Order: sequence, then C-alpha cells, then structure tokens
Amino acid sequence: MAGLDLLSDQGYRVDGRRAGELRKIQARMGVFAQADGSAYIEQGNTKALAVVYGPHEIRGSRARALPDRALVNCQYSSATFSTGERKRRPHGDRKSCEMGLQLRQTFEAAILTQLHPRSQIDIYVQVLQADGGTYAACVNAATLAVLDAGIPMRDFVCACSAGFVDGTALADLSHVEEAAGGPQLALALLPASGQIALLEMDARLHEDHLERVLEAAARAARDVHTLLDHVVRQHVCEASLLLGD
Amino acid sequence: MLQKREKVLFLRTFRGRTLRIVREHYLRPSVPCNSPLCPQPAACRNDGKLLTMDVTHYVIPDWKVVQDYLEILEFPELKGIIFMQTACQAVQHQRGWRQYNKLRSLLKDARRDCILFANEFQQHCYLLRERGESMEKWQTRSIYNAAVWYYHHCQDRMPIVMVTEDEEAIQQYGSETEGVFVISFKGILNVNKHRAQMEAFVRLQGASSKDSDLVSDILIHGMKARNRSIHGDVVVVELLPKDEWKGRTAALCENDNEDKASGESSSEPMPTGRVVGILQKNWRDYVVTFPAKEEVQSQGKNAQKILVTPWDYRIPKIRISTQQAEALQDFRVVVRIDSWESTSVYPNGHFVRVLGRIRDLEGEIATILVENSISVVPFSEAQMCEMPVNTPENPWKVSPEEERERKDLRRTHLVFSIDPKGCEDVDDTLSVRTLNNGNLELGVHIADVTHFVAPNSYIDIEARTRATTYYLADRRYDMLPSILSADLCSLLGGVDRYAVSVMWELDKITYEIKKVWYGRTIIRSAYQLFYEAAQELLDGNVSIIEDIPEFKDLDEKSRQAKLEELVWAIGKLTDIARHIRAKRDRCGALELEGVEIHVQLDEKKNIHDLISKQPLEVHEMVAECMILANHWVAKKIWESFPHQALLRQHPPPHQEFFLELRECAKAKGFSIDTRSNKTLADSLGNAHDPSDPVVNRLLRSMATQAMSNALYVSTGSGAEAEFYHYGLALDKYTHFTSPIRRYSDIVVHRLLMAAISKDKKMEIEENLFSNKDLEELCRHINNRNRAAQHSQKQSTELFQCMYFKDRDPETEERCISDGVIYSIRTNGVLVFIPRFGIKGAAYLKNKDGLVLSCGPDSRSEWKPGSLQRFQNKITSATTGGDSLTFHLFDHVTVRISVQTSRCHSDTIRLEIISNKPYMIPNTELSHQSPLLLKSELVKEVTKSVEEAQLAQDVKVNTIQEEYQEYCQTKGRSLYMLLEEIRDLALLDVSNDHGT
Repeated sequence: MAGLDLLSDQGYRVDGRRAGELRKIQARMGVFAQADGSAYIEQGNTKALAVVYGPHEIRGSRARALPDRALVNCQYSSATFSTGERKRRPHGDRKSCEMGLQLRQTFEAAILTQLHPRSQIDIYVQVLQADGGTYAACVNAATLAVLDAGIPMRDFVCACSAGFVDGTALADLSHVEEAAGGPQLALALLPASGQIALLEMDARLHEDHLERVLEAAARAARDVHTLLDHVVRQHVCEASLLLGD
Repeated sequence: MLQKREKVLFLRTFRGRTLRIVREHYLRPSVPCNSPLCPQPAACRNDGKLLTMDVTHYVIPDWKVVQDYLEILEFPELKGIIFMQTACQAVQHQRGWRQYNKLRSLLKDARRDCILFANEFQQHCYLLRERGESMEKWQTRSIYNAAVWYYHHCQDRMPIVMVTEDEEAIQQYGSETEGVFVISFKGILNVNKHRAQMEAFVRLQGASSKDSDLVSDILIHGMKARNRSIHGDVVVVELLPKDEWKGRTAALCENDNEDKASGESSSEPMPTGRVVGILQKNWRDYVVTFPAKEEVQSQGKNAQKILVTPWDYRIPKIRISTQQAEALQDFRVVVRIDSWESTSVYPNGHFVRVLGRIRDLEGEIATILVENSISVVPFSEAQMCEMPVNTPENPWKVSPEEERERKDLRRTHLVFSIDPKGCEDVDDTLSVRTLNNGNLELGVHIADVTHFVAPNSYIDIEARTRATTYYLADRRYDMLPSILSADLCSLLGGVDRYAVSVMWELDKITYEIKKVWYGRTIIRSAYQLFYEAAQELLDGNVSIIEDIPEFKDLDEKSRQAKLEELVWAIGKLTDIARHIRAKRDRCGALELEGVEIHVQLDEKKNIHDLISKQPLEVHEMVAECMILANHWVAKKIWESFPHQALLRQHPPPHQEFFLELRECAKAKGFSIDTRSNKTLADSLGNAHDPSDPVVNRLLRSMATQAMSNALYVSTGSGAEAEFYHYGLALDKYTHFTSPIRRYSDIVVHRLLMAAISKDKKMEIEENLFSNKDLEELCRHINNRNRAAQHSQKQSTELFQCMYFKDRDPETEERCISDGVIYSIRTNGVLVFIPRFGIKGAAYLKNKDGLVLSCGPDSRSEWKPGSLQRFQNKITSATTGGDSLTFHLFDHVTVRISVQTSRCHSDTIRLEIISNKPYMIPNTELSHQSPLLLKSELVKEVTKSVEEAQLAQDVKVNTIQEEYQEYCQTKGRSLYMLLEEIRDLALLDVSNDHGT
C-alpha cells in the first residue's frame, strides 16, 4: 500500500479540505457552574475542555506570590481515551509539563496580570480527544474560559497550527498530517494587534518558506478569532437575555 | 460551507493489534467538474484542463478497470475519460506507487483528454459505506452514483458510459438511469462452418446494455472485418452503423472454396460489426493436410513456405515453412499457429507431428481426437502405482476397518444389476425388499469410486483432465484405468464390492417416499442381468434363465425359490418406477428419448428390430431409478452446501427457437404449444400422424434441437430457481450414478460424503472445491462433454462415409433410400433418412444453375429453370413449363453418395432422384411398417454374405449402443469383428487411392 499523499494534485488534503481551510470549529462557554470560567471547544475531532479559577489568593506556599502581578498557573492533561491507543498515565509526563509551560507563557502575555498582584489564576485544560493541533485547541479553549471568568485580557489569544507540504503551507494540521513528520508550526496570536504570544516550531524548515507558513498560520488564527468572537458574542447575548428576564 | 462527516477505519498496528481510527471527511457543494458543459463554471471553479466537446459520450471506468486496464486507458485515441477519485484511490492502495504515478501523469498531461473528478469530496456524490458492505461493492456503488450525478450536472446533455467488469453491477445498475449505461462488451467468435470465408458470428457474453438491438449475435462479414481472429477466440467487436448491416445467407452452399454469389438471397439485416481486438486467443493444435503435388508446383518457386489446409473448415489456411512437404503429402499432420502478422492474409505456423495417412481409419480417428483436443495417452506408472492390486495370487479383499464403518448389505439385501449384454463397468445396482413394518425399501447402489480415487492423487488429476470416458463409434477411451473401471469399482455379480447407496423407505401402497438414507455400504450383487433377460423375467417368460449364469449350478428347488424372489423384485421395481415416472410426467417431464438423444435413437430402433430388440420397459425402469437417485442426491448436497454443490441444470429454452418447430407442425396441421415443458410434452404427444410415424420423430428431434443443452453448474453461482431441470421437470438434478465414466459424479460423491459427515457433526476430511474452483471445473467438464459428443458424432459420420464410399451409388440398391423433407432453404431442402439416421442437404439447383424437375415417371433430371421458395414448400419451375413442388414432410427417394475431400472429412451427399417415396422392390410400404421392414432387412442380411455389408450392420449396431445412456461396454467379439473390418477398409482405401 502506497502512503497517502497529503496534498493531491487537485489541491485537496486527505480529509477533503483545501490548503488554507480550517477544520470545523464548535465552541461553548460556561459549561460548568462551579468554576469561575469554563469552555469547551471542538476543532475537527480534537476536543478540549478548559476551566479557570481565580483570581484568588495564592494556594500553597506564600513565597510563590508575585508582588506586582498575578501568578498564572496552567495545567494540561489529556484523557486516557483521547488517542487511538489508551494511554497509561493521563498527566504528569514530560509532554504535559511542557504543554503546561507553553500555555502559561501564552497567557501571561495575554492576561493583564498586573491588575491582580499577589493572587493566582488557575487554568486547567484537558484534551478529551486528540486529533492534531492540541496546543491550538487548548489555547482557544482557555481563552474562552478566561473570558468566561471575566478576567481582563489584552485581547483574545487565538492559536492555530500550520505545516508545509510540497511547497504549500497547510493550515490547521490534523493528526494524519502531523504524523507524516513534516515541519509543524504552532502560533498563538493576539489578533487585534498582530502580536505573537507564542511561536514554536519543530523540524527544520528553510528560512525562505518560514514567511509563508507563518502567514498561513496567522491567517488561520485570525479566522479562528472571528469564530471565537462570534461565540463570545452569542454567549453574552444569551446571558444578558437571561439576566433581562 | 463545508459539511463534516466522519470515517471510521480500522488499522492494524505493527504489533498486530487492531486500532480504531476516526478520520474527518469534509464534503463541499461543488468540486471542479472540468466539463465544458458545466452550467455554473464559476461555482465549480474549473481552472485546469477541460474535457473536449467533440466526443459522443464520456467514459467512466470502474475501479477494477482502472486497476487492470490502465494501459488501454492510456491510448491517446480514447477521449473523454473521467477518472473517479474512488478509482484512483483504489489504484493507489492496491497497485502501488508505480501505477498510481502513471495515472497521475496521465491526468496531468494536457494532451490527454481525461480528468479526475473528486467525487468523494462532493456532498451529493459521497456515499457512506454501509455496515457489512464490502470495499469493492462500495467503490462500484460510489462510482456509479458519481456518474449519475455527473450526468445530471451536465444537464443530461452528454451520455455517460460506465465500464465495469462486475456482472452484478451491470445487472443492478444497467437500467437504473436514463443516459448512464453500464456495460461490458465481450463475445466469442463463432465462425459459420459452411461459409468460412464470409460469415462469422459473435455471441455476446454477459451483454446487458440497454440497447435492445444487441440481444442477437453480431455478424462479422468477411475476413477483413474478422481481423485475424480465429474460431473460438474471445474478441471485442465494434458495431457498424446501421446502414452497413448485412443479413445472413439462407441458401445452402457446398463446402467449396469458391465464393458463391451471395447477397441476393440474404435475409433481413442483423447487427454487423468488425473485430477490433482479441482478448483471449484460443489457439490449439490443428490438423492439416499438405496440398497435393500439382498444387505445390503452382505455388511457384517459394516452395519453402507452404499453405496447408486445416481439417476444420472454420480455420483459415496456415502458412508453414518446411522442407518435408513432399514426404508429408499423404499424411494428416498436426500444426500449431505461431503468429499472425497484420500484413498477412494467413497465419504462420509450424509442424508438430504426423498423425497418420489420409483416409486411413487410425489416422482419421486420431484427427478427430486432436480436433476435439482429446488426449488419450495410456495411464502413467505413477498413476498406476496408486491403484490397488487384484491378481489371482494376491486377490483384493474387503478390509476389516471398512467392514466396520460401512453398512453391510451382503446378507440382508438382494442386490442385482441390469445392464447391456457384455457390460464390463457396472456402476449401478438396484435392490428392493419389504421391511418389517410392511413398507418397501428401494435401494440404488453406486460403485464407490471415491474410495479408490483420493482427491488430488495422480489418478484423480488425470481423471479430472479427461472428465469423461470417450466413446467413439468403434472404441472407447476410459476415464479410469481398467483395474478400477472393469474390476474393483465395477459391481460385478457374486463378489464383494464397496458402494455408495441411497435407500428410500416407500409406503407400501402409495409408494410415497417416507425416509431416505445415504451412506457407504458393502454389497454383493447377486445377479448381473442384461436388459433382455430382465424383460423376459418381467414378462413371466422363465425360459430365459438358461442364459443367466447365476442359475446354472443350482438344484431345481433353490433355483425356483431364488427365481421367484428375483422376479418379484423386478416386478416391484418396475411398478415403483412407473409410479415415479407418472408423477414426473404430471409436472411436465419431456419424453426422455426426445431430450437426451437425437434422431439416431430412432435409427437404433430400426436396428434393434433387426436383432430383435425392443425398447424395453426395464430400460425405462433402470433409468427412472437412476433419475430418482440423482434427484435425491442433488437435493441433499444442495441443502448441505448451498454454495458449492455441483448440479446439472437444464435451462428452459428460448421461445424464438421453437418458431421453426411450430411452423413445421402447422404445415402438417398440428399445433405445438411451447409455453411450458408440460404443454410441450403434451402437444408433442398429440402430434401424431397415423400414416407417417416419421413426422412425430422429426418434430421431437426439432424440439430437442431448439432446447439448450444441459450443463453442470456450481450452486454458488446462481439463484436457486436457475437449477431447474427443464427436460426432466425436476427442481434439482445432478449426476451421481456413473462415477466410473464421469468425473462430475466423482465430485458429487465427495460432496455427498462430506454432507453425511457434516450431518454426523464429524469433521469434513476432504477439502471441497470452493465455488470459484467448482465453477471452473464445471466449465471444464461441460467443455469436455461437448468434445466427447462431437467426437462421437464425427466418428459416426466417418464410418457412414466409409460405408457408402465402397458402394457405387448408381448401381447399389442400398444407396437409394427413402427420405423426408424437414426444412426448406432457398436452393434446396434438408432431408432426413430414417433408415440410416442421416440428415443432409439435397440441392434443387446445381452449380450450373440447372434445377431439378421430375418427368412423368417421377424420375428426376436437371433442366434450366428457376426456384421459388415459400413458407413450407419450394417449387422448381423449368423453362419448359414443368413445375415441381416439394412440401415439408414429403417423402422422396434419395441417392446417397460420398463426396470425398482430401483435406477435410468426407461428407455424405444426397441427391433427390424421385419425388415419390422409395419402394423397396420386394416389400411394399416398407417405411410405414417397421415389422415388414424388419423381416425384409433380416432376409437381406441372411442372404448377404458380403463382409462389408455385415460390417455395416455391426457398425451401426455399435453406434447405436453408444447412444444408449446406460450402456458402457461392447463385447469382446464385437471388437474382433471391427478389427477385421478395419483391415478390410484399409485395403479398399488404398486401392481407391491408387487409381
């Protein structure tokens, strides 16, 4: 059996999308009442749940408190059933830790932490189903959750991945495309300002191509922003409608 | 704008575990269709290359076609091909990168008029694979669905042809959507024997396209259109436009090489085409004859290359290069075809071996064998080593293990066989007895060949290749070595033998079947009767016991008791058989003779008269018991193995073939109802002309010819209703009762054994044929059976010709005979001669254009004139004003002569010498009274001392025996006689040749 080609001569990807097209995104805010903020997002078959607590007092050792800004604490885990083969340990492995750190970095850049000195904001993200682009899904879910919690942010943080196949940049990689082993770029963007909250890339890519891949990722992130914005507005509408009654 | 679907796949990981993978699948409302006919090019975003406008239709190949015939699709001549994404992916997954890249580059090439349609991403074309649907089925379904969508997308302006090999798909989708055709076009070339130069027909294989014009065969007119294909090839045909269609010729024509003026007498036009490709060559060994010396000279200096003439008229002359042409002149020679250049009129071949002298009996018989691809080498040593030993020093015995496993019928049952006199290979025996509860037990015991022939042993493979025992007019070629066929498997009288039995318990009064038992048994046949003796016993004529060896050494008392027992058994069996037969008749069984055997059987009747034989009731009784056994075994194996049982099917005939029969019958004032086998049997029974018994026989034989042949089939390849046996009026039928001479019976025996062990929940030891293998095997056996029939017929004709050749047709009284006209053609009539069972053509117009006319003394002479053909009569009018009319079923006097041919087989030639029935001088009305005819013939025979004449009688006699269904062997003395005749014949032939 010959392998799949990720981009056919007619410009279709394996799942039928064209190069720049996103997977179907569905999101909901306020899925849990107990938490301060929560959100659920589906990007294609990648499904993530984010919960936000805070800002509240520092739990644990007080020494960790920061005098001038809030501490952002991110924890990432993925469900044992999220992948094709059941995982043994749901959290605490190296990959989860790394993902937690990346999320923290992203949100420290986006949340106006100086408004809440000596306090803590907890962001917990769990991936229920992983089908490529887990980082992006986590960031998008967390953004919505933070918004739901009412924590002030500079802007939305919208993330998207991008890859590069046969001279074409592909947006929003699925698991098949990631597994093929090409260069893969993860971008978290503050869309209004165009500032980059996080940029990460593994595998080697020629410098000449970087611009195009970055451009594809940024455009995808902006597309994600429009979608998220729509979700937020709808959520607010619903909430105000309830309040009004 | 996109729609999301999910696909669930199961993949196998490296460690062998199954992994469930869910993939997304996005559908969109429009994908590029790349057709210039597209109504919304903007929505479709057709930017790449487009299909051209100037094609008559688009072709959509099925996935299998793309996989297997990509090379053909690569021809630049093929335009307007739409490759479906589904098909491309099938290529990618199953054929690897190499082929897939070929396909990709084909699609990219701007010169090629082909596109890819991404049907799986189109929301209307995508079909979800249903639960349990096989990948292949789903792919075909998807492609068809996409084809339909595409057709509608182009606003029905361009017909689409989907090409597939999947018969089911053709059946299913063939007529679903207007404008979308699902086809597969293949046919077998059939060259008309009588006009080899001009006409050939192609019978379509599985053609089920919607064009109703194509139900008939396609005519291929002329050698050029035949495009170097040879009789039997599987070819692809292109239909010519309607205004070039031609009709087939109805006139009689002699087998001359000169082209007669045709065309003026052709019937209405039929589909005509030309061969564009040969899918499968069917070249075999051909028997040829070198041209005579004079002809070689005329061929000029290029003597190295010689055109030889095949024995078979349908094969073109073959060019071979040999130095031995002169030495091989008088021989029949085997050649093979090697190649056929496109620039050449004749194929090239090479010389293989010499068969024998022309007109020598052995040579001619060998010719017939080679022409029918029958190879009869003696059994090899390895094959014989597998055979059990049975010598006087080391006699074969029943082994104790087998004794334990088999039901022992040796003491409990009176088993006996009824066969022709002198039969060696007895494969069926019968028994009947009264059970304790008063019911009857009928048993049919068949030789257990499978006990000796293990599956896939050397002997099994050899038997499978031979498939049947071949009976020629004067000899036979056995399927199994004689140690089995004439000894250990043969259920001879007075010895222990293994058998496979079917036993029924019948109600004592109604003879209804209550129970049936199948299994392996040991039997000892008490009597080996022959038909005449059994009939005498049945009629109560006890004097015949002198002829039965089993009764010889008995004292009077026990002889009387045993005789009574035997007579009771035969009487009871006949009674039962009558009952079963009556039941079958009610369902519409046709007269068996009419179905199985042609007119020759009627000829047999005459000859039987000669040696005072009658068609006996015991014949029918034995046949009926065998039919019953076959029927029940068929039921059993079909129930146990619904997908891999071997049955014998006799499909109902096409009504249009009965047209001629109905017309003929109408001419005589009978109406034949052919709607079902019941009505046909009834109306044939009624169509009896008291003044002329030949009419009924002819009608029956015409009915037989209109029917299709019975065939072996594997049950996995058809619906249950298709296995109906039309002639016997049984829902299921197979061949079980003659495993010694038919391989199909061996297969059925194995199936039955497996079915029995399946019932006992035992493991099935023998690995049975799968449906596919069985289908292949059935095709082989059918093919061999046909070859056996042909060779039998040809050898009969050979003997007929040899017989008549020695006689001078002008003087010999025997060469003049009475004939009946049974068909009318434009320049002659077809005549049947009841006395010799010959059918042939008689011309009313000869080569010089003279027509036949009869003077007042009803002697015929040739005069200039013209012929006029009507529905059921033909009139020849001479310029002198005389006219002569022949009606169907008229009796005429014909003279039989032999037309010799150097390269081909000799043929019987008939000439009408009088339009009055032939009167044999010393008896009146001979043709109407078989009794008189008999006495006349007997007289004649006794008077005659001429050796050759005796030879003829014996010869015809042997031929007759061949046609008898349950006869297998000829006596030893007969063979000796034949040997003598052969010497004689040889002498005559060489004399003839010398002069």
